[in-house]
Amino acid sequence: MRSCGDGPDPVAVRAVSPLPGASRMELLVESIAERVVNLVLDAIDINAIVSKVDVDALIDRVDVQKIIDRVDVDEIVSRVDVDQIVGRVDVEAIIERVDVEAIIGRVDIEQVIQRVDIDKLVEQTELGTIIAHSTSGVASEVLDVVRAQGVGLDDFVAKWVNRLLRRSSEDWPPGPPILVNPPLPVPALPLETSG
Amino acid sequence: MSATPAAAAPPVVGRQGHYAGAVTRLVAFAADVGASWGIFTLALAGISFAVDLVTGNQINLGSRQFVALFGLIVWEFIYFAYQWSLAGKTIGMAVLGIRVVSKDGDAITAKQAVVRTITLPLSFLFFGLGFLGILLNKDRHAWHDRLARTVVVYSWDARAARLRWLAKQEPTTPV
Repeated sequence: MRSCGDGPDPVAVRAVSPLPGASRMELLVESIAERVVNLVLDAIDINAIVSKVDVDALIDRVDVQKIIDRVDVDEIVSRVDVDQIVGRVDVEAIIERVDVEAIIGRVDIEQVIQRVDIDKLVEQTELGTIIAHSTSGVASEVLDVVRAQGVGLDDFVAKWVNRLLRRSSEDWPPGPPILVNPPLPVPALPLETSG
Repeated sequence: MSATPAAAAPPVVGRQGHYAGAVTRLVAFAADVGASWGIFTLALAGISFAVDLVTGNQINLGSRQFVALFGLIVWEFIYFAYQWSLAGKTIGMAVLGIRVVSKDGDAITAKQAVVRTITLPLSFLFFGLGFLGILLNKDRHAWHDRLARTVVVYSWDARAARLRWLAKQEPTTPV
């Protein structure tokens, strides 16, 4: 009679063991091996082993680019339900936490305006049409041309006079200081807030 | 080819407040001389017509040249001094886009306008020697500018003129 305890199925062992009595021997060896493995595992200090591993060297050997190349980002993105994520965001709460006054106070309006290409804006938008309608007139166009021609001739004459006198006017002031380098505007006083 | 001359080339930009050059000042002065003489002649013709209408006698300035010259001098003084003290520019200067300011850039006072008008003829002496300073000095001073402590600067908004010119162009691509 065979016991039905833990271990390999005796029928199966008998099927692979051609010699009589071998099955019992194999069971014995197997249980001994299992016991030895358990003892070894108990004896191993995993932390000590990990502490000896040079993780940096290990990472250096990993080809991250190769891993990234194998990742199908499009596939991942296509699985993300952006609408669902956005739907879970409480925009009102975020806006309420934003200090708009502080942001505006930190914005350098002068610098922003200087970065705007007014010429391009006028040239490429309906703004140009609006300006043209509001300021159009043959007289103003003629004046613009006459004045521009005058400035051009002024420069031409000044250039030749300087050339004849063999001098440079680059260091000369272009105009009265107040008009050429106007003083910076006085910053506005902060508004008084109650409470 | 565009019909308007302004569309031929963009105007000069960024000269507002800079010292005006000799050509612009000369053309502005010529325009002022024309305007003041034209107004003076029209006024004389008007007065002559009114006197003829009321009294039946015609005024003959040919025999009163001194009076006519004196009237012209007084009129020129009023023409220049009044306009300079009022707005810092005359009709000719307004057309050419220049104006008179104090040496430091402030608006000129009535006193400066009067001094400038009175001393203006001095610059014509010695074949216009007084105007050479416009070409030679770093502050573009003529003699009468130096005496009145004034300078002439560009006052027209070339930036606006450029925007007007750009606005005339067809929009290229919508932003």
